[in-house]
Amino acid sequence: MAGAATMVSSAGGLLAMLNETHPALKLHALSNLNAFVDYFWPEISTSVPIIESLYEDEEFDHRPLAALLVSKVFYYLGELNDSLSYALGAGHLFDVSEDSDYVHTLLAKAIDEYASLNTKAAEAHNESATVDPRLEATVERMLDKCIVDGKYQQAIGMAIECRRLDKLEEAITRSDNAHATINYCIDISHSFVNRREYRREVLQLLVKVYQQLPSPDYLSICQRLMFLDEPEGVASILEKLLRSEIKEDALLAFQIAFDLVENEHQAFLLNVRNRLPSPKSLPSESVHSGSPEPGSVQSENTTTTEDVQMTNGSQVDGNTSSPDPREAIYAERITKIRGILSGENSIQLTLQFLYSHNKSDLLILKTIKQSVEMRNSVCHSATIYTNAIMHAGTTVDTFLRENLDWLSRATNWAKFSATAGLGVIHRGHLKQGRSLMAPYLPQGGAGGGGSPYSEGGALYALGLIHANHGEGIKQFLRDSLRSTNVEVIQHGACLGLGLAALGTADNDVFDDIKNVLYTDSAVAGEAAGISMGLLMVGTASEKAGEMLAYAHETQHEKIIRGLALGIALTVYGREEEADTLIEQMTRDQDPILRYGGMYALALAYQGTGNNKAIRQLLHFAVSDVSDDVRRTAVLALGFVLYADQEQTPRIVSLLSESYNPHVRYGAALAVGISCAGTGLSEAISLLEPLTSDVVDFVRQGALIAMAMVMIQISEASDSRVGAFRRQLEKIILDKHEDTMSKMGAILASGILDAGGRNVTIKLLSKTKHDKITAVVGLAVFSQFWYWYPLIYFISLSFSPTAFIGLNYDLKVPSFEFLSHAKPSLFEYPKPTTVPTTTSAVKLPTAVLSTSARAKARASKKEQDKTNAPKSSGAEPSAGKGKSIDKDEDSMQVDSPADKKAEPEPSYEILTNPARVVPAQEKFIKFLEESRYVPVKSAASGFVLLKDLRPNEPEVLTLTDAPSSAASNPGGSVTGQQSSASAMAVDEEPAPPQPFEFTP
Amino acid sequence: MDPKFTEVSQVFQLFKAAFVRKDFDTCMKLLTQLKVTLTEFKSLPPLFEETPNAIQERTLARDIYEHAVFLSVKIEDQDALERDFFQLKPYYTDTHGLQPSTQEHPILGLNLLRLLVQNRIAEFHTELELLPSSALENPCIKHAIELEQSFMEGAYNRVLGARQTVPHEIYVHFMDLLAKTVRDEIAGCSEKAYDSLSINDARQMLLFSSDQDLVKYIEEEHPEWEIRKGFVFFQRAKESAPCKEIPSLQLINQTLSYARELERIV
Repeated sequence: MAGAATMVSSAGGLLAMLNETHPALKLHALSNLNAFVDYFWPEISTSVPIIESLYEDEEFDHRPLAALLVSKVFYYLGELNDSLSYALGAGHLFDVSEDSDYVHTLLAKAIDEYASLNTKAAEAHNESATVDPRLEATVERMLDKCIVDGKYQQAIGMAIECRRLDKLEEAITRSDNAHATINYCIDISHSFVNRREYRREVLQLLVKVYQQLPSPDYLSICQRLMFLDEPEGVASILEKLLRSEIKEDALLAFQIAFDLVENEHQAFLLNVRNRLPSPKSLPSESVHSGSPEPGSVQSENTTTTEDVQMTNGSQVDGNTSSPDPREAIYAERITKIRGILSGENSIQLTLQFLYSHNKSDLLILKTIKQSVEMRNSVCHSATIYTNAIMHAGTTVDTFLRENLDWLSRATNWAKFSATAGLGVIHRGHLKQGRSLMAPYLPQGGAGGGGSPYSEGGALYALGLIHANHGEGIKQFLRDSLRSTNVEVIQHGACLGLGLAALGTADNDVFDDIKNVLYTDSAVAGEAAGISMGLLMVGTASEKAGEMLAYAHETQHEKIIRGLALGIALTVYGREEEADTLIEQMTRDQDPILRYGGMYALALAYQGTGNNKAIRQLLHFAVSDVSDDVRRTAVLALGFVLYADQEQTPRIVSLLSESYNPHVRYGAALAVGISCAGTGLSEAISLLEPLTSDVVDFVRQGALIAMAMVMIQISEASDSRVGAFRRQLEKIILDKHEDTMSKMGAILASGILDAGGRNVTIKLLSKTKHDKITAVVGLAVFSQFWYWYPLIYFISLSFSPTAFIGLNYDLKVPSFEFLSHAKPSLFEYPKPTTVPTTTSAVKLPTAVLSTSARAKARASKKEQDKTNAPKSSGAEPSAGKGKSIDKDEDSMQVDSPADKKAEPEPSYEILTNPARVVPAQEKFIKFLEESRYVPVKSAASGFVLLKDLRPNEPEVLTLTDAPSSAASNPGGSVTGQQSSASAMAVDEEPAPPQPFEFTP
Repeated sequence: MDPKFTEVSQVFQLFKAAFVRKDFDTCMKLLTQLKVTLTEFKSLPPLFEETPNAIQERTLARDIYEHAVFLSVKIEDQDALERDFFQLKPYYTDTHGLQPSTQEHPILGLNLLRLLVQNRIAEFHTELELLPSSALENPCIKHAIELEQSFMEGAYNRVLGARQTVPHEIYVHFMDLLAKTVRDEIAGCSEKAYDSLSINDARQMLLFSSDQDLVKYIEEEHPEWEIRKGFVFFQRAKESAPCKEIPSLQLINQTLSYARELERIV
């Protein structure tokens, strides 16, 4: 356009021309109007009927032009629907490549329309649904154009939105960087595709495309296959890699296995393991090792697969002289990969890491212990819980051993939880879990003499130790469950069994638990309900109906509540499939079942951010008559939104100011759950006022939530962490603070320093897959409102923040890498020194003595800690590894002292295995001249390392120290039944081979 | 000289000849042909490309359209008049170096008159506002303005009397039409103002010379009027619809739902 200067001042002339009879004049008018419509649309709009009639005139040759003009006018008038329908009439005159607001807006509208039509058609399962072919053509033109222009991301987004998988495939295959494109595609399919089945279709397509690529990214393929639940595919890929001549391929296979394990999908891993073909070098052997495996496929409970592997592995190892060396290599590799897939390797390495890097601060516990009143049993057991959480997975039970007298004050249920706490501390100690707990376990018959509370607790503890890896212990727990009539023991056994058999959907176990449920005992029934849910997690089995029916039948509120949660667990991650059940529960008369319905919503839509679920939850949060339901509805938001953490504080901010304390409590925990471990600033700002709420239980919830958010956040990155620690200390020491918030503060300090300060709460794995154990753990944990022992379920959600590099032998070689950030940003919190505030409340004379004693103790502790790795007894082959540990320690100790003198370095060298907190991951760099190169560039978790100089001798670190250190404390905690432990050891299955057992 | 231009000029000559001959059918045919050819000129509105012959072409095009306006008056086609006038208008408003036409004011006045006849007073004033103040002095336009003023005042006799003072012979046709417009206006007013009028009064009022004309007029335009006992009875305009009922039930429901929602607000 030459500008306004050469323009007519009115379109009147052209409009008048439209009424001429001669078609050439009409055409002239139309084409000129079309050119000037941007300026004259107000004038033209009055004549739209004339143009419309031209469009409708069958004899007029230029109908599309008329349609285009009308469309543009309607666009300017804001009538997008009319505009779109005329634009479609314009056919090819509607140029998708034109760069104008009109075209952009209408295209967006067209795509929206098309997508919604297609979605509706797909959801109604009505293939023949009619979509305007012109609309389809337009959208296709747009898609083609995007693909031709190289705007693949746009094309992919549109194709997914419009359910045009054919176009999606085209876009991916034609893009120049297929891997990046696919990753993008995966991201959006997870974050934007709400319907589960459709997401499956997309992923299936992706896998297909993947496999066609010349250099497939096996890591991603396997992740997709896992989501699709196709163990055959994974097994065949693994086999291919393992059979490869190249060592890197085997490393890659190991890496895949570790990544799969991280997602904690027990049933899937089991399937993959069983489908991996055995080496066929020796006919006799293959027969031998082949036979037990089909058995284990059918009934996982009868044959413990660990045993199978071990025999399998040892036999192959023994046969290195077999004629075919290739088969021998394969056999060796397959043994390793089975070990990895069983989760043993990662659990064992995690355990070793947590043990060797344990930095928990006993002084905090000591302060808590001293300030808690003797008679206050709530705070007393809270302290026990805190100890367990602080040392979760580290196997360090020093505190318990040092305070036996104090511990013995726990009676009844407190005793139950004290014993169960051992399970949390020894979590993952699969090999010796049972011998550790032996002194407390029921002794088959009346001979044991232990209190039922500690026996029940011990069974629960076994479950916690073997959570999600319970093949070996399941049978024992079942036997214990069947052989007792004491409801406390049944309670413990049910919980333990549920944890150990998490998600296995084992019918025999289910029936055992169901029998307990039908005894209609409140205590046992509650645990049975939860346990059934744990067993059936995510199966959406019809058992839920059975449970619901019983929930209606029974009189006990506890049982109903247990069942309600159990039912909710069964629909874990099923999204729309769960809608009927959710509807049924949320409409129930009984508030407890509605409350279960909230959990069902939370778990079915966990991490999806599904708008429908959020809307429903918000509705219940403000409209239900029961406070419990409202609280849970708000809390459930935390689960639905955890994949999109930034949203949660925004959505619940209004609710956190509710007049109803239950809603405030729910809001606090929702933020705690979804923002756990992120240290998100908005989350902290939202929780801060709640920690000084007027209602005690809101304070409790807020303190716990705050601890969850701030876990592993250092004071250097957010100063509010330090303030929060001081606040906790103040609450604990304040005599006039009420019990509820005191308990919250005690638990909060435990969570803040959980797992020896080396774990965080993570609900998503690195591949954005939800960690089923973690989510379930938090869901059950949030039940502690009704039942304190459930607090221990939080330990399921802990995942170590570690970088653990492994070589081909799955050993940890010494390897250095760089953290390109100030060390203070991510360092451990400094150990607390003598509490100064205690002096204020005590008498002057007492001040001196206690503080002096505390000081002495503190310095001794300090010494102990630096010496710990060395003095903790047998560390057989770790000569060099130890020295590295020591280096690190001295660095840690030195740095605060040196800080005044010299400026802080801007980077830090970390040694494998190292603590890498989530926020630190982006600063991790691998040194270029390093001997080892990671197979995939991940900054945390288990990473396989490629050895560039395989001929040099390797230096290994992180050997099996905890097994030796922890072998005896089991017996010494209460000192009773020390003889029984030996007995129990005898019953143990043969000790696992990779351990070097030093008594 | 551009062959196309020459062609158009020749056709236009033919048109003018036919116009003088009052051979309007030929005129119509030629005019359409001319208009189609004109669309091929880039220098004409709305493109205004500055081609070498731009001024000549525009002058010619304006001439053609002016003739088209006169033609449509002659054949008494008001729609065509309107069309042609609007197509002509850009040549007056966006001159682009064009010399003012001698026919400009008569045609503008003609348009005003047309609007007056069609009783489109709002558009009449819009057009008026667009005219420069100097144009208002022109007798053709002044004539239209005066007519409008008389019309508005209700001085209908002055309107009818103005027929004798037309500034341009082409206006005569419109003055006839205007008389009818005036009559309609009066009829409309009478209807509202009176229940009935004697035929005599009605005849005077509606400016008819004979009772037959009156009766014929009533039959054609106002069949709902009744002539009875020497009187014309006007049917009263329909009573305006009664006041709408207050939607009380709906209001109550709404208020109640607000109250419910308010209670739910956290």
